[in-house]
Amino acid sequence: MLSLKKDKKQFKAKFKLSYVAMLIVLVLLAISALPNLYPNKSWLQISAASDVKTQVMPSTENLVSFLNSQGFEVSESLKDQANINVLLNTPTQSAQAQAALKSNFPNTQVKIVEHATSPIWLQEFGLSPIKLGLDLNGGVLFVLDVDLNKAIDEQLLSAYQQTKAIIVKQKAYGVKAKQTNQGFEISALENAGDKLTVVIKELKSRFENLTTTTSTNGNLQVVKISYSEQGRSAFDKEVMSQTLTTLRSRIEELGITEAVTQRQGKQRIRIELPGVQDPAEAKRIIGATASLGFYQLKERGGQTFNLQSGGTIKLDPVPIFTGEHINNANIGRDDWGKPLVQLSLDSQGGDAMSAFSKANIGKPMATLHSEYSQNAKGEVVKKSEVINVANIAQHLSSRFSITNMQSQQAAADLALLLRAGSLTAPVTIVHEQTIGPSLGQDNINNGLAALMLGMGLTLAFMALWYRRLGLIANVALILNLTSLVGLMSLLPGVVLTLPGIAGLVLTIGMAVDTNVIIFERIKEERRKGRPPYQAIQEGYKQAANTILDANITTMITAIILYGIGYGPVKGFAITLALGLITSVFTGVYVSKYLSQSLYLKLGKKAGVNAHA
Amino acid sequence: MLNTFFKCETGSRMRYIGLLISAMFVLLSVFTIAQKGLNFGLDFTGGYLTEFTTSQGVELKQLEQFIAKNHQGEFELTAQGNNHFQLTQAPSEEANNDAWKTAISQNPTINAEVLSSAYIGSQVGDELFEQGCLALFAAMVAVMIYLAVRFEWRLALGSVVALLHDLVLVVGLFSWLQIEFNLTVLASLLAIIGYSLNDSIIVGDRVRELLRIPTNITLKPSSIINSAIKSTLTRTLITSGTTLATVASVWLLAGTPLQGFAIALFAGIVVGTLSSICIAATLPELLGLSAKNYDKQVDQQTQALMDMP
Repeated sequence: MLSLKKDKKQFKAKFKLSYVAMLIVLVLLAISALPNLYPNKSWLQISAASDVKTQVMPSTENLVSFLNSQGFEVSESLKDQANINVLLNTPTQSAQAQAALKSNFPNTQVKIVEHATSPIWLQEFGLSPIKLGLDLNGGVLFVLDVDLNKAIDEQLLSAYQQTKAIIVKQKAYGVKAKQTNQGFEISALENAGDKLTVVIKELKSRFENLTTTTSTNGNLQVVKISYSEQGRSAFDKEVMSQTLTTLRSRIEELGITEAVTQRQGKQRIRIELPGVQDPAEAKRIIGATASLGFYQLKERGGQTFNLQSGGTIKLDPVPIFTGEHINNANIGRDDWGKPLVQLSLDSQGGDAMSAFSKANIGKPMATLHSEYSQNAKGEVVKKSEVINVANIAQHLSSRFSITNMQSQQAAADLALLLRAGSLTAPVTIVHEQTIGPSLGQDNINNGLAALMLGMGLTLAFMALWYRRLGLIANVALILNLTSLVGLMSLLPGVVLTLPGIAGLVLTIGMAVDTNVIIFERIKEERRKGRPPYQAIQEGYKQAANTILDANITTMITAIILYGIGYGPVKGFAITLALGLITSVFTGVYVSKYLSQSLYLKLGKKAGVNAHA
Repeated sequence: MLNTFFKCETGSRMRYIGLLISAMFVLLSVFTIAQKGLNFGLDFTGGYLTEFTTSQGVELKQLEQFIAKNHQGEFELTAQGNNHFQLTQAPSEEANNDAWKTAISQNPTINAEVLSSAYIGSQVGDELFEQGCLALFAAMVAVMIYLAVRFEWRLALGSVVALLHDLVLVVGLFSWLQIEFNLTVLASLLAIIGYSLNDSIIVGDRVRELLRIPTNITLKPSSIINSAIKSTLTRTLITSGTTLATVASVWLLAGTPLQGFAIALFAGIVVGTLSSICIAATLPELLGLSAKNYDKQVDQQTQALMDMP
């Protein structure tokens, strides 16, 4: 009896602090898990379109009666300063309602916005439910392949064209540029060495990543221009990050919130658009490669381009400025009612335009529209066309417009693309997936049903097989699920997918393993004749080794799965890995505390009995 | 004494028979895979996949004819039950035409609703497959390294062979039944690596522990292994049981997208449990595992590693 008391005291002093920490962790994770009881609701947010000057917003009553007449039952509507917010009875119809609103009220912008429904105090802590993957939420997935080879070819071609222009500008007689298989080369006669240096210096200032290798061939000095391994990877990186930025702003322009745009592998980009149901519009805008450039006409040393109206024209290969200097672009109509695009330039573009137009009043300027497209053979080719040649009537500043647009749609698309920026490399869609919102909801329901059944079976079995110890295992199991859900809600970048739910269910089945190993050990120790308290201590100690080995190997596979898999598979790997952590935490530490305190209580009772 | 000896012998005999049966199954699986190949899903072949439901019962033949009228190019239509259909197309020019979708959703008798549609370029499919195989390979190498450091090499080899056996058998099953082999099935193979090792490690751990007890040095390795299996059997059966129960509930309730995944895991856990006894524990014995080589080989450094909690 005395030794037991001593044991108790030691145990209390030693473990008190760590158990307080454990309790805090459990409570925090449980609070983080709370918002999942209040799933987000998707509202329709209607506001006036930004590029319409006269703000004609339909009234709330108008909108609601329109939606009801179209078969979308409105459950709630709210009006704040600029927006009208509408919640449908069946929020999965939001995407269809969005399309209907867009076609009926063309002057409005309709977005689907997720609103949290959890209590304010939870939201104030910044806590939110687990983010759902596309397979649970519904939406559109695109994986784009960025053609880096084509981009580098274009870059080399442009460098070659510009070199020819530099040679003419610098009056570098005796210096010649010639295209080769791997790029191009510049050759110079012996007496033109100085001019060659000047040309190369100017070329390199325009294209930083180019490398030059000089050799002599008879009395000719030959400089080969190409991309080194290093320059190429720098160029690739630049193209990828620029493509990502451009795509992000295009998606923003489309009014899609909560999109995920990320790089996948060396030259792929993964775009997830939750809530979007019609991929056609997104596809047209995301994959578009249209770009604009403004050029001076040049007869000598110029590059030949096709005119949209037929015929050809020669332009200076160096643009006055390009689309990237355009700050804003809107559609409008000219005096004859034809669509046009109004541009406003940033300060750099404005300065270039101002200087150029001042010096060239009365002379023509050409607008070149370039776009990548697939030809009949499936190869990607760049198609450049001069859409407009206009005489500069006056000194232009940072605001002017491009006329001669083919249609209203063409003008609207071009304006959007100019606002969002252009792509330097052609992109092709290599993977496209649309998941309907009802399918997503089905997946959630089925996954939850499987989770409930799996959990119920496991709890029932443990309670029947181990009785009192089983109760501890079951408490640990429920705490495990709560901690796992809390951890997944807390960590940014964790997305729950359907395989992720399967991982959750599996974790439940596997988590009891830890307890089973320990309990079997305890039983064994009891059979050897140890008293209960010691048997519990021994059981936990002996089992620790085995539990560690078993979990580390599974963790290795989970990490590899996470590193290599994409999308749904990644979701599975995350749940698996986090589940291992929480199951060791609750299965070993929490249940150890529970079994010890349970024993101590029993011991106390036994002690009282003994004294009495 | 005689009684326990007799029991041990029966245990050993059963293990040897199990090993033989396992070897046969591996051969059979390899034969089936070579003969029939795998029924690769869209993830790996590339192509178009559309899932839709019809509001009322429509005959598959009828639907097939209707779509053929509205669509050029080849397609394959399968019924998934419950007015649920799946249409697959190989990646081609003609397949990228959605006219038939509008046709089936506007036809009043079919009145279909498209649930999901997917397109995967064939190049992406190849890459995913390569990546998946790379992941499997990397996981096995990493696990092997871990086991080699942590266990005696005979025990480690036993676990790895058991693991390979499990993978081959599961893939063999998929080949034999021609169940669609897709990305989630590949992910489940990786999960099987983790779970299958779990069982082997727990048996191996106990074998190691018993071998280290000085009084056991006189015992035959086979009886040590038998008693290790006996003392871990309850745990193995309970854990496999609860995991199988949860996997079965995924299989039953989580719907078609996870069916292949659940089947693979279910089969993986069943064969994994058997192989942890028949292969992971038996092979080291055949390779000459005994208490003696544990005595000699354990130098201080590995001892320190093994005593790691």
